[in-house]
Amino acid sequence: MSYKYIGSRGSGSMSWFLQRISGIVLVFVMVGHFILMHYNPEMGHSFNRVFERMQNPYYQMLQIAFVVLALYHGLQGVWNIYRDFKFPSWLNMAVLAILIVVGVGFGALGIANILHF
Amino acid sequence: MYQKSPTQEWTSNVVRYKKFSGSWAWLLHRITGLGLTAYILVHINTLASLQEGPEAFNAKMQVFMQPHWIFAAWILFGLVLYHTLNGIRIVIIDFGKGAKYHKQLLYGAVVIGLIVFLWMGYIMFFGHAEYDFLSMIVTSYN
Repeated sequence: MSYKYIGSRGSGSMSWFLQRISGIVLVFVMVGHFILMHYNPEMGHSFNRVFERMQNPYYQMLQIAFVVLALYHGLQGVWNIYRDFKFPSWLNMAVLAILIVVGVGFGALGIANILHF
Repeated sequence: MYQKSPTQEWTSNVVRYKKFSGSWAWLLHRITGLGLTAYILVHINTLASLQEGPEAFNAKMQVFMQPHWIFAAWILFGLVLYHTLNGIRIVIIDFGKGAKYHKQLLYGAVVIGLIVFLWMGYIMFFGHAEYDFLSMIVTSYN
């Protein structure tokens, strides 16, 4: 299929579904995140506390899943909004490429932050 | 016959478009979503100071413990809260029978959201004995 149809390829039902699933998971992780970070400011804003938590590999796995899901959900959402407008196909290509590069780049940075411990 | 310019046409469409509660919910969901996506990139970038060691990270976090940054975090929490509650509403509409009572769901989300928002504000500003932000604000203006 020609690159001209990028962005209108497929029905979008899978991205709709994954947006709902990632959103539901994020609700639960986000509630925990806010309680942990703001119920006691020391918990979220002290290097030693972060270091202690990061010693648990399951906590690290949860954080990596959090970063990946949140970035996916956010950037997929931006692409959803973009797709509601009609733009020239070269711009579609450029925007999609930027979103993918941003997602991979910041995902790698976020995972590096977690695996640093 | 009088012909509207594209700008006039766009403006009159926007003004004329009836924004019911569902439209506002949809629009706010998009705006908060864009804001939160921008924020998570900044957030990941800020946390990169974890890799530079305790001094760099703690120094950065001390900046965000200042009252006006706590206020910014509270507003950010408001965006997250709205996006979360309306997201739950969307899931109920899409996967359940929420389309029949989507307005009631929105009103419920607004009421719950306001209560949780004020509660979180209380916790963030007054909930920590060791971080008395009220007196920090008072002393910063003296």
